[in-house]
Amino acid sequence: MSVEVSCPACGAPIAFKTGSSIVVVCEFCNSVVARGDRQIEDLGKVAALVETGSPLEVGLRGVYQKVPFELTGRAQLGHPAGGIWDEWYAAFQNGRWGWLAEAQGRFYLTFEQSLPEQSLIPPFDSLELGGPVAALPTSVPLTVAETGVATQLGARGEIPYRLQPGEQYEYADLSGTSGIFATLDYSETPPKVFVGREVTLAEIGLGNAQAPEREARRVAGAQLNCTQCGGPLELRAPDQSLRVTCPNCGALLDVSQGRLTFMQALQPPKTPPVIPIGSVGEFEGVKQMVIGFMVRSVEFEGARYYWEEFLLYNPQIGFRWLVRSDDNWSYIKSVPPGEVMHRSGSFGGKGDTVQFQGERYKIYQDAIARCEYVIGEFYWKVEVGEQTRAIDYVHPPRMLSMEMSLIQLAVEEVAEPGQKRKKKKNVKTAPAGEINWSLGTYMNRRDVEKTFGISGLPRTSKIAPNQLYPHKKVYKYWGLMLAATFLLGLVVMATGSHAKVFEKTFDLQPLANSEATQVIFDGPFELKGRRNIKVMAQSSVDNSWLYVEGDLIDDATGDVQTFSMPVEYYHGVDDGESWSEGSQTPSIHLSAMPAGQYMIRLEAQWEKWQLPATVSVKIEQGVPRLLHLFLAMLLISVIPVLVAINHFSFEKRRWADSDYSPFGS
Amino acid sequence: MLKRFYLIVGLVIMSGYGFVALTGKEFGDPERERIPADVRQSPGGYRSFHFWHSGYRGGK
Repeated sequence: MSVEVSCPACGAPIAFKTGSSIVVVCEFCNSVVARGDRQIEDLGKVAALVETGSPLEVGLRGVYQKVPFELTGRAQLGHPAGGIWDEWYAAFQNGRWGWLAEAQGRFYLTFEQSLPEQSLIPPFDSLELGGPVAALPTSVPLTVAETGVATQLGARGEIPYRLQPGEQYEYADLSGTSGIFATLDYSETPPKVFVGREVTLAEIGLGNAQAPEREARRVAGAQLNCTQCGGPLELRAPDQSLRVTCPNCGALLDVSQGRLTFMQALQPPKTPPVIPIGSVGEFEGVKQMVIGFMVRSVEFEGARYYWEEFLLYNPQIGFRWLVRSDDNWSYIKSVPPGEVMHRSGSFGGKGDTVQFQGERYKIYQDAIARCEYVIGEFYWKVEVGEQTRAIDYVHPPRMLSMEMSLIQLAVEEVAEPGQKRKKKKNVKTAPAGEINWSLGTYMNRRDVEKTFGISGLPRTSKIAPNQLYPHKKVYKYWGLMLAATFLLGLVVMATGSHAKVFEKTFDLQPLANSEATQVIFDGPFELKGRRNIKVMAQSSVDNSWLYVEGDLIDDATGDVQTFSMPVEYYHGVDDGESWSEGSQTPSIHLSAMPAGQYMIRLEAQWEKWQLPATVSVKIEQGVPRLLHLFLAMLLISVIPVLVAINHFSFEKRRWADSDYSPFGS
Repeated sequence: MLKRFYLIVGLVIMSGYGFVALTGKEFGDPERERIPADVRQSPGGYRSFHFWHSGYRGGK
């Protein structure tokens, strides 16, 4: 039931439309009016809201998990690194309040949770970026993505807590898989816990909410001009940019609520960006504009290595990056920290890996990245010389990069009498910071040229850390073809008609001399077409030989297939070791002959010609040939083996610039 | 590009294996010739090429 009162500051009428709201911001004088048991109270004035280009508005109605809600209020909070974020307060029909946080185009809907074991929530000072936080009622483990001190700046509408203008409080944002999100609010003891998840506007029934027109506009009045040189400049993301460089004099300017403040004079780059600021390219199916360019570097073994980052912007999807390193390109977008699973312990170190969407990424580099140069505009307070710890993990063609920034915050705790919350002003320094994870995907140079409609981007001579080996699919085909060939071999052998077509033992009389031979004719027997022929001889020679020359003769056509088979077997003992050589049962394989009746002619000669000899001859057809199967599989493997050698070399070159090369230094 | 080339090469090898297996082809066959019956039946007209020249020189 709506309760109407007069603003204690200006007397204007204000209404508590929602039964459980605690404060209302007077829309005439911006006073925060709280209602208590008996009287209303003026908590002070908040600043006017800054236009952030949010698609949301107080009064919008949505539905989440089948429960309708209305956005009754909005607060703007100052981020420790500069900039602001919005919190929207959703009054649900079932009496619950939802906190809808909005930052850089993402939305997080959370609900306050009462924990049975509040004492298990770790104190703010003990939180470690990237570290786990247990004791929260979530289905997945959560890690600390950000810690900091928020400052209450502006507000509007009805708000479900006692908002103190200018109040500062410590907070920690936690992130988990599947978009699970939580906030620890240390404004009270024990801290308040909000648990929820990242949502899209469509999911909460606000899909039709329209962002205000965000076309580029010039900063009005005096703010049109650079404070250093007076030249005009254009903001392409006016609602988001916190820093911009003057295209005329190169000055780095702070953008605060549309006002420009000189920060730093920048040296012009040695070479202009290969993709000019203002260029538009299509990624992920949407057009994105290059609004910023920065050069960053890391030091590795005493040498400094540079790369370039192009900041892309589209009002609907926010910010993305295009990175050029050694003329290799990657398209980069941020991912929620909780989606990245780290085993345990601190980040970095040999063998460190992370899991993302079921894939394992190996550590490639861990270094302090320094900003060397900037042009254009940026959504954070970028400074030349700013440093972050950057760790890259690779799983070609993707690379996960973690950037960890730490800042020291000055916070003073002053408990106000009768207030549960503590008002905090500069007294102590608290560590704060955030972890940002981004997912980079390797891009072909030609694709970059094509999307921006440019040409002549330099070719690379190096392998990118996340460059996919181009011939990897050969391995898949290799496996498939080996399996198919093996299967074919099994089918051929299983369906072949292996049959004996001739077998006979011949007694040979002593020869007249060592040069003489004995000839035998036998047959006929039938040979079938399209079946190979195996001829086997057997003679019990012992440290001796018997040589058989043979012919298979098609009496009808005169076709003669010759063959020869030495039967020789030697054995003995040399230096205490026994040895043997040759075989008493040699064989030979012959190609299929035309079907027909065949004779066999054998001509034999043997070493002990003075003595009689015996030789048996057997002929089979349709003999399974494992050798042929093996040769086919060997031939199929030649190219993949060459590819594997090349792949090995590729991987060595990929890891050449890494401290964590699996190939050693 | 390479994968397409490999796919073609692989299929050719598989086909080759299939052809060899189904036709009973063997590699390195000894000589095959056609000798008319009258030549074969004439005295001395049919003698293995090998023995005609040298005879076997086996032994360890």
